[in-house]
Amino acid sequence: MELHDKLKNWQQAGLIDQLTAEQISAFERKQPKKTKLPLLLIIGLIFFSLAVFSFIAANWQAMPAGLKIGLVLLLMWLFYTIAHFAERKNFGWPHPFRLIGLAMFGAAIIVTIQAFHLALSTPVLAWALFIAAILHYFYWQRLAYAVVAFAFGIRLLFSSIETLGWIQWLVFIAVALAWFYFSKSKLPAVFSWLLLFGSGLMLWTLVEHESALWPIWTLFALVPLLAAVPKEKADMVRPYYLLLAGLQLLVYLSIRGAVQTPFDSLDGTESLLLLAAGIGIAALCYIRFRSITWIAVLGLVGILLLDETAIGLAIVVEVAILGFLFIANREDRPLALGFVYFILAQFVLYFIFAWERLDMSLFFLLGAILLFALSGLAWWFNRRKAGAAS
Amino acid sequence: MKSFLFPAIQTIFILLIAASFYATSWFGEEYVLRAEPYDPFDPFLGEYVLLQYPDLKPGEEVQTGDVFFTLTRGDDGYAVIDRIDNEPFFGAIRGSYYRGELVTAPGLDQYYVEQGTGPGLEEAEKLALTIDVSPWGTLRPTFLEAREGN
Repeated sequence: MELHDKLKNWQQAGLIDQLTAEQISAFERKQPKKTKLPLLLIIGLIFFSLAVFSFIAANWQAMPAGLKIGLVLLLMWLFYTIAHFAERKNFGWPHPFRLIGLAMFGAAIIVTIQAFHLALSTPVLAWALFIAAILHYFYWQRLAYAVVAFAFGIRLLFSSIETLGWIQWLVFIAVALAWFYFSKSKLPAVFSWLLLFGSGLMLWTLVEHESALWPIWTLFALVPLLAAVPKEKADMVRPYYLLLAGLQLLVYLSIRGAVQTPFDSLDGTESLLLLAAGIGIAALCYIRFRSITWIAVLGLVGILLLDETAIGLAIVVEVAILGFLFIANREDRPLALGFVYFILAQFVLYFIFAWERLDMSLFFLLGAILLFALSGLAWWFNRRKAGAAS
Repeated sequence: MKSFLFPAIQTIFILLIAASFYATSWFGEEYVLRAEPYDPFDPFLGEYVLLQYPDLKPGEEVQTGDVFFTLTRGDDGYAVIDRIDNEPFFGAIRGSYYRGELVTAPGLDQYYVEQGTGPGLEEAEKLALTIDVSPWGTLRPTFLEAREGN
């Protein structure tokens, strides 16, 4: 009726003619109707479920391990079955039901861990849900499964800090790589790429050699990945190289500025190697992926961290971001994110160099001048853009 | 019917984990370890008792880190270390040892108990943990109780 009224209104307003209205009406009649569950049935199901859960909870302690596991598995099957019929009969929401089924799988693992007194540090739960969610994603191509896989991928990286060995690490990379290579949409590709980056940070635990530069090595190691995947896939993750490089620069600057003693986990040889790698990355990016050439600046970080005053690193950050903004402006590319980063960099620099070295009144005066200058710069960029547009 | 493939694989996965523990009991030997508790609570996994074993003391020759050991029954019936090495050997339980501490192994370091019984077991202080150890070195804790005598 709602559609009929609308068609009538549109006809009266002269938007569509009689024939179009009839064609739309006929088309809509042929569409499959979404079956709705009766309200009473829904309420009944909710109360019935509550009664079942109460009964299970009351007798939980007395149940043998096998029965507990069996019950949770039964619930898992129930939700997958509901999801299956919701999809086939076009009622309800199949994917939320399937997600609950996946959660029940997690619950079954927890019950198993508890029943057999497995060690708390076991990564079985995170591994199982990570792999299961990825497979769900590939089969049904829904973002929700990718989000679950990403969450458990991160949990796996963090929870395995003590137990992660080389084999697990290599399997994790293989799974994340496969996910990255075969995912078709942007967010899942970005998720898997972030997990690949996270696996590089795990080298802090795995390798006996203490290094402050693992994040940079990881980002550099991920550059050749862009050459191994189709261009559309590379375009999806390319901005994140710049984003992570920018964040790393700021983090290194903050740490170097705050800790005014030599870093134990830094040696000259590694710093020189990183510089050489940075030059290589600069050449590779300039030829193949010009838009991310700026990440090669990270190659300088190793050497600059040896300077305890952090002045060299501060100068590099300033030059890099101003250079980035200048070139982006000249090539008429969006400036917003670069400008936000520029402001962040100024504040980091300001806090590092002003906080402990100035008295409070001078500190606030300089802060006010800095804010004033940044606002002026933003106004100037805006004016130039507006002038170019008109 | 392909959409039932996932719950089927997931069920097999859970059953395999459960079967591996039942197999430890079916084919393994039973030992009772003298145990000492301390009692934390995990809101996610429930109540459990953290355990350490005064009889699992290695000799001076054992290095810290991963250790591999087998058990035997002592004169008083409680299990003690039979053989311990830093290198793996068939039938050994894989555990860890740090200087000044006792040997422990995954599965031995905590025992999940019924809600509310943790503090009681902690007060008992002297506990005995019954475990099954398979010929291939896996273990399954089966029962935790207060211990009489030493």
